[in-house]
Formats: sequence, C-alpha cells, structure tokens
Amino acid sequence: MSETIGKSIPRVDVLDKCGGSAKYVDDMKFDNMLYAKTLRSTRPRAKILSLEIPALPDGYYIIDRNDVPGRNRVRILIYDQPFFAEDVVNYIGEPILLVVGADKAKILDIISQIEVHYEDLEPILSIEDAESGDKEPIFGEDNRFVDYEYSKGDPDKAFAASATIIENEYRTGYQEQLYLEPHGVIGVFRDGKVTVYGCMQCPFYARNAVIEGLGWDEERVQIIQTTTGGAFGGKEEYPSLICGQAAFAAVKTGHPVKLIFERTEDIEVTTKRHPSIVKHRTAFDAAGNILAMDVDIKFDGGAYAGLSDVVLQRGMFCAVGAYDIPNLRIGGRAFATNTVPCGAFRGFGAPQAFFAVEMQMQNIADKLGIDPIDFKLRYALKKGDTTSTGGILRDEIKIPEIMRTIDDMSNFRDKFQKYENESGNIRHGIGFSLFFHGCGFTGNGENIISGKITLRKSSDGAVEILISNTEMGQGALTALRKIVAKTLNIPIEDVIYENPDTDRVPDSGPTVASRTTVIVGGLLEIAAAELKERWHESGEIEISKVYKHPDYITWDQKSLHGDAYPTYSWGANVVEVEIDTITCEITLKKVWAVFDVGMAIDEKMLRGQIEGGIAQGLGYGNIEVMNSNDGKIQQNSITDYMIPTASDLPEIESQLIDNPYPYGPFGAKCAGELTLVGAGIALASAVQNALGSQIYKIPVRPEDLLEEFENGN
Amino acid sequence: MVRTFRPQNLTEALEIRKNKKAIPFAGGTDLMVGHKRWAGTIPRFVSPVLFIGHLDELKEIIIEGKELHIGSACNLSSILECEYTPLVLKQSISNMASPAIRNVATMGGNICNTSPAGDTLPALYALDAELIVANANRERNIPIDEFITGPGQNTLEDDEILKEIIIPIEQFDVSYHRKVGTRKATALSKLSFIGLARIDDRKIIDIRIAFGAVAPTVVRSEANEDFIIGNNMEELSWLIPEIIEMYSPQICPIDDQRSTAQYRKAVSLRLLEHFLREELK
Amino acid sequence: MEISFTLDGKEILLDTNPLRRILDVLRDDFGLTGIKEGCGEGECGACAVLLDGNIVNSCIVPIGYIQDCEIVTIEGFRETDRFRIIAEAFAEAGAVQCGFCTPGMIIATEALLRKNSRPTRDEIRQHLSGNLCRCTGMNMIIEAVEIASQKGGGLW
Repeated sequence: MSETIGKSIPRVDVLDKCGGSAKYVDDMKFDNMLYAKTLRSTRPRAKILSLEIPALPDGYYIIDRNDVPGRNRVRILIYDQPFFAEDVVNYIGEPILLVVGADKAKILDIISQIEVHYEDLEPILSIEDAESGDKEPIFGEDNRFVDYEYSKGDPDKAFAASATIIENEYRTGYQEQLYLEPHGVIGVFRDGKVTVYGCMQCPFYARNAVIEGLGWDEERVQIIQTTTGGAFGGKEEYPSLICGQAAFAAVKTGHPVKLIFERTEDIEVTTKRHPSIVKHRTAFDAAGNILAMDVDIKFDGGAYAGLSDVVLQRGMFCAVGAYDIPNLRIGGRAFATNTVPCGAFRGFGAPQAFFAVEMQMQNIADKLGIDPIDFKLRYALKKGDTTSTGGILRDEIKIPEIMRTIDDMSNFRDKFQKYENESGNIRHGIGFSLFFHGCGFTGNGENIISGKITLRKSSDGAVEILISNTEMGQGALTALRKIVAKTLNIPIEDVIYENPDTDRVPDSGPTVASRTTVIVGGLLEIAAAELKERWHESGEIEISKVYKHPDYITWDQKSLHGDAYPTYSWGANVVEVEIDTITCEITLKKVWAVFDVGMAIDEKMLRGQIEGGIAQGLGYGNIEVMNSNDGKIQQNSITDYMIPTASDLPEIESQLIDNPYPYGPFGAKCAGELTLVGAGIALASAVQNALGSQIYKIPVRPEDLLEEFENGN
Repeated sequence: MVRTFRPQNLTEALEIRKNKKAIPFAGGTDLMVGHKRWAGTIPRFVSPVLFIGHLDELKEIIIEGKELHIGSACNLSSILECEYTPLVLKQSISNMASPAIRNVATMGGNICNTSPAGDTLPALYALDAELIVANANRERNIPIDEFITGPGQNTLEDDEILKEIIIPIEQFDVSYHRKVGTRKATALSKLSFIGLARIDDRKIIDIRIAFGAVAPTVVRSEANEDFIIGNNMEELSWLIPEIIEMYSPQICPIDDQRSTAQYRKAVSLRLLEHFLREELK
Repeated sequence: MEISFTLDGKEILLDTNPLRRILDVLRDDFGLTGIKEGCGEGECGACAVLLDGNIVNSCIVPIGYIQDCEIVTIEGFRETDRFRIIAEAFAEAGAVQCGFCTPGMIIATEALLRKNSRPTRDEIRQHLSGNLCRCTGMNMIIEAVEIASQKGGGLW
C-alpha cells in the first residue's frame, strides 16, 4: 500500500483553478452587500483623545468599539488585542473603526473626513528598547509577553570547566507571507445568525473569537472557509480579528458586509514573522569537543501577544539544532513593541533558531578547521538520544544517510574546499544546513485541541470527510481524500471533502504546525480502516475519532520537559551561489534538498511543498528585506517588498529518504514547514564560503556585503 | 469627475492640451499606479486626461538619414523588437518591469515621468538623444539632458506633448549596460551604468558614460569624457584613479527603502572602474 | 465615454468612465472573476489578460485605452484547445497549488507560446518574470510550460 500511495495523481482542484472558475472570497457577491474600509492608527503609540466623524449619509455606517456586543478582545492565546481600538493605539495600522456603505468612493470620502485626535505616547520600537525598561511598558511590568527557560545536564559546570567559549549574536528580520490573495471576509447576518465567509486556516479559531465578540450562543455563529489563495501561517490568527469586525458590521447594518484588504494594507498591518536576536555561547574542551550550549532567544512580538508564546517555544525547542548537546541552557523572551504584531509564518520560530545554531556550528567548524559535514555528523542526533527538552527520540533518524545523499548530489565537500580559495571578480560559494521540524502542535497542544474527525458514508457509497482543516494550496483537499480512498480501496471521486463549514464539521484543530497530514490524516486513516470493516452495513455510517498522543509521550508544560513533539521530520539543504564582487549581488546557482518526511502521500504535491518552501526560505535569506522605522514598515508595497520571481529562483533538485512513521497515515510525518527552514541558512552559509566573511544576520544584503569589503574585511 | 479626451489625431490632441491643460496619457502605467485608489474606484486624477497612446503619428519608428526616430507613444516592447534600436537601449528596456508592463508602457512616458531611476534615461543620455516637443503652433528640438532639469522635473510646458525621440545611429565597439536592482526581474533600479566607446588602433576616440538613479538626474559629464578621449589603453590604465575621483562628487545618491547611499555610490564607482579596466579591451 | 471593444469574441459597446481599470470593468460589470487583484500595482500578474494577443496587467490599464481592441480573459481562453493543453500540462507538472496566480500564469503561457512555440527554459523564466507565484517556487510552472509547448503539436 505505502509504495503506491505516493504515486502522483492530478490534484482535485486543478481544473477549476486553471480556468478561473474557483471562487475566492472577493469573487463572491451577495444581494444588498455593502463594502467596508478600515480606518487605522497613524501613530505607533498614542491615546485617542477624540474622534470627529462627519455626518453620515443614509446607508453609511461607522462600526467601532461601541458596536462590539460582547467582549472587545480577540481571543487568540490571551485577550489583549481589541477588535477595535479603545482609548489607546499601539501600532501604526491598528484598526480603529470600519466605514461601511454601498459606494466605495463615498466610503473613501467619509474616511478622509474623519479626524482622530491623538496624544502621542513614547513608543517602544525595538527589542533593545523593550528590554531597557526606560519607557512605560506596553505589556505587563516589563514588556515581556512570555519569558521561559529550560536546561539539561549541568551547563554551569560545563562552562566553568571549558577551555574555550565561542560567543556570537545572530539576527533575523521580518518576513511577510505575501500570499497572492489578500485577506478578506464577508459577514452575513440572517435570521438571528451570523455567517462569516473568508480565506483562512482555522475556522474554529475564528468562530470562537466571533462568539466571544458577539457574546452569543455558539449555534448563532457560523464560519465558512472560502477557497484560499495562499496563507503560510499569515491566515492562522489574523482572520479571527476581521471575521469579528465583519460580523459586527453585518449585525449592525443588517446587510452582508465585504471587507477585502488592499495589498499595501495587508503588508503593513497583518501579522509577520518575528524578528529575532539569538545569542549563542558554546563551550569546548581543550580537544575541541562541544561541552555545552547556552542560547538566549529574543523575539520582537509587536504590539499584541498573539501567538508569540508558541512561536517562541518552538524556537526554543530547536535552539541547539539537530545535535546531541549534553549540557544546555535555553532562555527565551518575546517582547512587546509598538510595531505590527507578529505571528505565524511557515516554520514558526524554527527558521530563526536554526539560522543561529547552524551559523554557529559553521563558524565553529571554520575555526577548528574541520569540514562542516564531518563536524555536524559528530554531534548529530540518533535514535534513542534525548532531545534538548529531555524527550526520547524513538524513531529512526537518518541524518548520516541524508548528509551522504546530499553530498553526493551537490558535491558539497569538494566545492566547499575549492571555493574557499578563489580569486577574481566572480566568487562561488556553497553552504549547507541541517534541520528538523517537530510534527504537530508543540507540547501539550494536540491533547488540548483533541482534534476530532468524522467520516460519513452515505447509502450511495460516497464517503465524506468532515474536518475543520483547510486547503490553502498545500494540497490537503487531494492528500486527505487520497488517504481515505486508498484505505477504503474506492475511487477518489467517491470521497467528498469540501471547504469546512463550522455548522457541518467537528473541530479537528487548526491547519497549522504541519499537522494536517500526520495528525488529522492519521485519524482519517484509522477511521477509514474501521469504516472498511463496516462497509457492508446498510444505511449511513458515521465514524468519529479524537486525537490523543500515544501514551508514551510525556510533556510537562511548566518545566518544558519531555517530548515536545511526537515525532520529527528531518532535512538538509545545500545552496550554491555566485557573487559578483563588484556589486556584491548574489546569484543563486542551484539548490539541493534531501528530506525525511516519513513517506510521501503524493510525490508531486510534496515536491510542490519542497520547492515552494525553499523559495520562501531563499527569499528570507536574501531579498525579502523589511525594516521598520519609527514603527512604520518601510517596504510596504509589493513593489518594494521583494519576493523571488522566476528569474531569481534557481533549479532545485530534491530527494526523499523513506522512513515510515508507524503513527502517520501510510507512514507520513510532517512536511509543510520543514521545507522552508533550511534554505536561507544554506544561502547565508554559501555567501560566507564565497567571501570568507562571517554572516551574522539575514537577509544577506549586497549593501552589507559591500560595507564589509569597503571596511577591508 | 475628471474629463477625458480621446483625440483623433495629433493636431486635435495639441489643441486639447492647450485649451484644457490635460495630462498626456500614453500607456499610463506610472500614472495609473500613482493615482490608484481602492479596487473598484476610479483612479484619482486631478487634471483632465488626454489619451494619446492610440495616435499613429506618435507610434512610428523610422530611420531618417543617420537618425532613428521613435514615436513617444511607442510601447517598450515595440522598441525592444525593432532591429535598429541600439543595444544599450534594448538592454535597458529588457531589464525594465515585466513583459506585461512593457506591452503598454512607453519610452515617452518614462522620459516625462522623469524619475531619477527612470530605466531608459541613462542610455538616452549616453546616446545623445534629442527630443521633439510639440505644441499647437510649433515643434522644438531639445537634447534630453536639457529637457530634464531635476528629479521629476522637465521643461515640458503645459501646452506641449513629447512627440519623438531622436537617436543618432552610431556604431560602438564597446557597449556595456549594468542595472543593479532589488532582484533579477521586475525590479526598481538601485543604480545603473552605461558605458559606450569607440576605439581605433587601441586609442579611445569616443566614450560615453552615464549613471542612473544615483543623483537627481542622470550623471553624464562630457568634460570627463573629453579627458578620457585620445588616450590609449596603456595611458588610460594610469588615469583610472583620477577619472574615478572626477566622477565621485557627481554621484550623490540617497538612502531609501531599497538601498543605501553608500552602496549606490561605491558600486557606481566600482562599475566605472571595471568598465574602464576590463570592458574597453 | 463610449468604448467599443471585443471581449472574448463578443462585440461590446460600453458607456463608462474611461479611466476605470479594465480589471474592475471585467470583474464588476461582466462578472468575469477569473482574473484577480493581487496587488493593484501591475507587479504580480494575477490580473493578466490578452490585449490584441499581448499580455497586459488589467489593474493598471484603463478601459479607455482598449478602444477597438480585442480582450481575451481566462473565461474566454478556457474554451479553446490551447487552454486544454496548457491546463493538462499544469496538472501533470503539479504547477497549481493555491491557484490564485494560475489564471494569470496561463494567460502568460499563452502569450509566450503565441510568439515562441518552443521556448527555452530561460525564455520561459523571462516571460513569466512578471507573474509572481508564492506557492510553487516557479520551477514546476516552468516545466508545465515546457510540457505544453512539447505537446502543443502545431497549435502554436
């Protein structure tokens, strides 16, 4: 069975998407529909003293904090972010109100006449600023959304006994998901019930937020996901905010209300990847063996807590990378600043943490004069080792095979040596990264969510998948149907799986954390196997399953100790670059990737995840530059925020190492995020190899490389 | 609501331009982005709009003697496809925007928009391009470096329309173009460099050097070029540091969201050095 | 202003403000929602249509520009054999993920193959450089175009 499921089939949604008949939220229209536009804060931190609103023509409305019948707080992890600002604003772009009406030009006219009277407050604009304690905190006493620490072994003793300590600080910047379809929702109020349509990853997150915002019984709130044009984490939590706003607007006006973001608006105000500062201290004995690592992680969370807690945790659990480090201390803090709130983006804390540890390992290997593959192999985790949090690695770990394969494919070792000794205007460089991704929700998350799936067989033999997970381009619509069809041995055309409607589906958990195939697909496989046994029963059959970790998984959230994840997927990337030393422009020549994701449910779709993730990782490593000055995003249009085009992306050669996971459907583990984590790191490492200068931050800009040259480095 | 006009011919267009002070709209790609509002609303133009992109009189590419005449409303794709277009201009155009934009945007628009980062401008300066500007009564010829006076500033009167761009047809032994953008395609320019030269018996008999996006207008200095002309390769190699010093004060870029002044200036001078040392051989 | 043009083979006479974007006219007036607004700045290509056989970004071209011109949208193109070959190639190559860029990508493919029926990989990259895709990393789309041009057999 498992050998054949991987064979690719055409995706079920291809033809509609090719022909333009797939309907996204902005393609939908309702009778008597009104449009909404958001009035936003222009100050990073201020009191709102008053609002002057012009007299509104008939049929035009303001929706603001006064129109939130329930609790004016968006439920994500904590209740700090309001649906609409009350007396203070905490970031440029924070929503203050909606103007709603039938004619868009008129709406713009009304917005231009609204005057907001601010009293500016001293903003906190960086991690350093937040840490210093010089200014009035935005959050709590000390601007820390969360503050964690865990350790293993005896790091203090190891550091005291060490012969050398290598200390470096690494930085990563913002990254914008830039899904091609901007955020959008349509709120409808009919017969006492609110239905919100929108592009999103987590219909039940949105539903719960709207229920609390309205203060209504849950049967009166329905969320329906629309065909979603990309998300990558950017549509995990943000839709909760705008679904609420659209719901309030629909209720107040009695009309369907459509709220679609403009691109510049989306870039400026929706959640981004957390910028980070990661300090590594590595202790060695006299023979050059690593004794201990001390890693300090700081994330810039922006103005509201959002998901920063979990993003930070995931980063902390990757802090020492794919290596067995006997003594370690990992500290992490997510800070509140008066900048755009940061949230989920493919990788979710891992790209930041792996950049730091992989560059640190590369720097150490360089210092010791050891080939980086050999060096990293020395410490690579094996089955039976414990993770940094003391969890047990129960499954086969194929790092040696991954390294060998990628070296064969890319000729890394030879090139690495050769490129260190080049001269001339054009320099070549090659770099590699080794990394993992924990499958499913961090820590207790999966047990807390207790995702529930239902399979329903109707009397005509069709089987419907009832889950809350969403297709956002990754192929869930096809992959999950494939799992069920294959298990039941029926044609895929007989398996139904529609965009989730919270009235019809159980909460199988959000479409995040690379959990859809391994956790939800795993439950579907079990349910389908059971359905197969009962296939000949007459009438309708319904089978539900609820997820719970296998019993041997232990986790203590207080001490951050145990199995942070039930299993892991592993990967290595090699990136080869060419640098023109006149301009310091980087050309990507080729990328190689080797992944162990258990088994592929569909080889082509997996390749799509590999290449798409790598493309985003490469962008993170060099051209996706985003800075904030005085709390304002500088690259706020698609013209200025550069993602790679066809001309920027090199050929990508990838290979999979099969390593079936007993608890995953057909042996599959997780893949969606793993594929982004390593590419930018390998790129930075390649630049380092090409130029001989150390890279401590990404994106690697030609401007920074040139400055190194001019300073004679 | 802003008035729009669609004249039948150039004469009519010039009349409307004079009487209505309407803004000429050829491809309009810069104008539409610049005046963009919300999806579903009409771009906010404040002056009346005069469509000229359809006028055949402005869309011809012809050779007259030793001159290439390009109508101001020729779209960039058509200029790219024309075999007589000089190589550096073709290279400049093919590095601009995207195929979809080039099918609509015009060189006339790029000139009149007069951005310091305008992609066609450095080549036009280097090629000694001349413009024909018309109003209802007469036409006037003006070299491009006199037409453009500052960032976003040119001498187009509010009753005039740019009619034609004249490029002398010349053969160059060396034709070098380099654009440094924020990425490899569809990118705005951080800086650009054009170098053209004619060499006879290892002596430089003509040289044109232009820099884009590193000053309020394109940087080109005939005085500096005269200094280079007449030298042979050997002599030139000794003069390179001095030549770089001559150009340095003219290159005064800014910091912005795309790049830094330091980078732009340093790379401009490095490209100059590279051109003089390596490309002239 | 009255503007006459051909839309997917049909003669149209439209009386409207000529500065309205083609994208808005097609989506709002004609209900042709196949093309999308990804950016509104002419950068992403999700709004691409064919104007007299050439690819243009409908978000930055006003309807007044297309007097006496022929527009082909994805809705019009999908009725053709060439679309079928391209769509099959996209399916075979795994070139479609979220689908938002796909109609524009297919229009770009058609625009390229009309001019050059056997493009090299580099030529495909160049011609598709104005169509952004955030999901695929572009290589699988480039392969799709290659497959379409190989299987096109005389259609282009």
